[in-house]
Amino acid sequence: MSAEIEISGLSKVFGQGAGAFHALSGIYLTIETGEFFTLLGPSGCGKTTLLRMIAGFEQPTAGTLRINGEEVAGKGPNARPVNTVFQNYALFPHMSVRDNIGFGLKMLGRPRAEVAATVDEMLRLVRMEAMATRKPSELSGGQQQRVALARALAPRPRVLLLDEPLSALDLKLRKEMQSELKRLQVETGITFVFVTHDQEEALTMSDRIAVMNAGRILQLGTPHEIYNTPSDRFVAGFIGDTNVLSLAVASSGVDGVTLAVPGAGTLPAASLDGLTLLVGQTVTAVVRPEQARLCPLAEADLTATLEQTVFFGTDTHLHLRLADGQGFILRRQNAADEVDPAPGDRLGLRLARGALRVLRD
Amino acid sequence: MHSTRHGWKWLLSAPALVVLVLAASGPLLIVLVYSFLTPGNMGGVAWVPTGEAWFRVFFKRDLFEPDVITWNDANLMVLWRSVWLSLQTTVICAVLGFPTAWFIATRPPTNRPFWLFLITIPFWTNILIRTFAIQEMIRNNGTLNTLLDWLGLISAPLDLLFTDFAILLGMAYVFLPLMVLPLYAAMEKLDFRLVEAAYDLYASRRRALWHVILPMVKPGFIAGSILVFIPAIGSYVTPRVLGGGRTMMLGNLIALQFGQGRNWPLGAALSVMLLVIVTAALVLYLRTVSKESGGPRG
Ligand SMILES: Nc1ncnc2c1ncn2[C@@H]1O[C@H](COP(=O)(O)OP(=O)(O)O)[C@@H](O)[C@H]1O
Ligand SMILES: [Mg+2]
Repeated sequence: MSAEIEISGLSKVFGQGAGAFHALSGIYLTIETGEFFTLLGPSGCGKTTLLRMIAGFEQPTAGTLRINGEEVAGKGPNARPVNTVFQNYALFPHMSVRDNIGFGLKMLGRPRAEVAATVDEMLRLVRMEAMATRKPSELSGGQQQRVALARALAPRPRVLLLDEPLSALDLKLRKEMQSELKRLQVETGITFVFVTHDQEEALTMSDRIAVMNAGRILQLGTPHEIYNTPSDRFVAGFIGDTNVLSLAVASSGVDGVTLAVPGAGTLPAASLDGLTLLVGQTVTAVVRPEQARLCPLAEADLTATLEQTVFFGTDTHLHLRLADGQGFILRRQNAADEVDPAPGDRLGLRLARGALRVLRD
Repeated sequence: MHSTRHGWKWLLSAPALVVLVLAASGPLLIVLVYSFLTPGNMGGVAWVPTGEAWFRVFFKRDLFEPDVITWNDANLMVLWRSVWLSLQTTVICAVLGFPTAWFIATRPPTNRPFWLFLITIPFWTNILIRTFAIQEMIRNNGTLNTLLDWLGLISAPLDLLFTDFAILLGMAYVFLPLMVLPLYAAMEKLDFRLVEAAYDLYASRRRALWHVILPMVKPGFIAGSILVFIPAIGSYVTPRVLGGGRTMMLGNLIALQFGQGRNWPLGAALSVMLLVIVTAALVLYLRTVSKESGGPRG
């Protein structure tokens, strides 16, 4: 694999003086060729701004940006081997589906026959052959989405940028388009840089994810890494459900730390590299709701009182309260032969090995 | 119950009907009727029906041999000049109006009212005064010639006043806002992400303009062209003041018949001609435009 996009020390400031706003600060990022890379973060964290700088719509305030090894500063969007699928598609309303898809190739001055052949191929790829002569206004949201994709893919860019392309679609269509997108990416081998604020979407589709907040990248890794070993409290909270606990350090040594759990003794905890912990210090630790299970009180790591159960179909969330009053949610797969405990019951919990993780605050 | 409701509805639209009949159709009808009457001795009309006025719009009889009929090229020339000058005015306004409207539409939203306000300033003064101001600027020893002379660019004053150029200058100046405003309205609605999409898909600035921006602001061009062309072809003040007596437009010819010419029926027939030209131009224009952008729907 080689680097498709190398971003180094990139920052973007909007406005000047007192009104200056740091939309992005100190971004370092390498995106590999052929990767499905996702920028994930809450609304307003700078995802679109980063994407627009890669596309060439915004110039960085500082830092460098290379595409395929070439510095692109000062090059406009029409001089970069990058195409964008815009958040609201931005299809040309006065052109037919065909003309929309062929626009890029036409602007590149490709011969008519080649444009027509590529458009046909793209129409097939996104399964829109039957709609070729329609205007965008005569298409449904999902169909417009496909045309926008085909239009951006037709010139065979090195990189495809997608800014929350699925956010306007309803749930069912979104799921459908998610697998469709993944299929297109695998089939074309084009590097995808995908923006979303939906963590589930990011986890299911990406090869790697950059979790962003307030103009910075907080963590960069595969979906597994991001989910299982979140680097800080924000990432842990943003990706999936998680229990965040405040616990005191009981012992700290070469072979790891143990944390004091109220009313239940001590538990070993996995810790971040390079984090020095002092005995007695209160730290933030997280446990995923599915990494704890119910067990007989005698074998329990933790005991808690059940307050409420919430049924989710495939699983049930048990809202528990620990001895010191901290809340804890446990996710349990529903099985036909199990009886749910009742509110007020005292329950024993067992944590999976390495489930308790100490975070940098 | 139902019928009373209907009665009320009818009553509510009565003022509009009165205005339409009295203010629009009434005078038109009078003009149409007058065009088929005989000129009165001291102006006005005599109630003797004839097609003579209509005949004279297009043809003339030889002064000595009334049976020899030829085209009335003087009238036809004025008709043609009016159409031609108005078309040129429309094009000039479109060419100047586009960058102007674009400039305003691309200012930050808070600044746009200021620029729009500047565009409307000419409307504050009477058209006659504005036109005389232009006369003052371009006459032989007026502002422009004095300036050019002082700069050493010319040795003799340029003969600008009382030319077609002067008329075009005056009309373009007067009608420019009527082009800028609808163009601005169309551009304000323009989705600039479409322009970005064009750039993203390798369009140069010029091709983004041609393939995306122009087609999108076409409704503005249509509205602006209609708003400019129609009053331009009926112009009276501008050709009168800047064209002198030498270059007439239809409006001046009509005024002449009702004034010194004392031929009201001819004036009326020419007025109907004006109306026909405007209507024909409108229909033709809207037809071609809708044919282009329409096509089968559904
Ligand atoms: N052109 C701009 N001028 C000023 N501020 C901007 C501009 N574009 C974006 N911002 C600000 O930068 C921040 C990041 O925006 P954006 O990149 O669109 O976020 P996201 O796509 O993650 O929701 C936001 O707070 C937004 O208000
Ligand atoms: Mg965004």
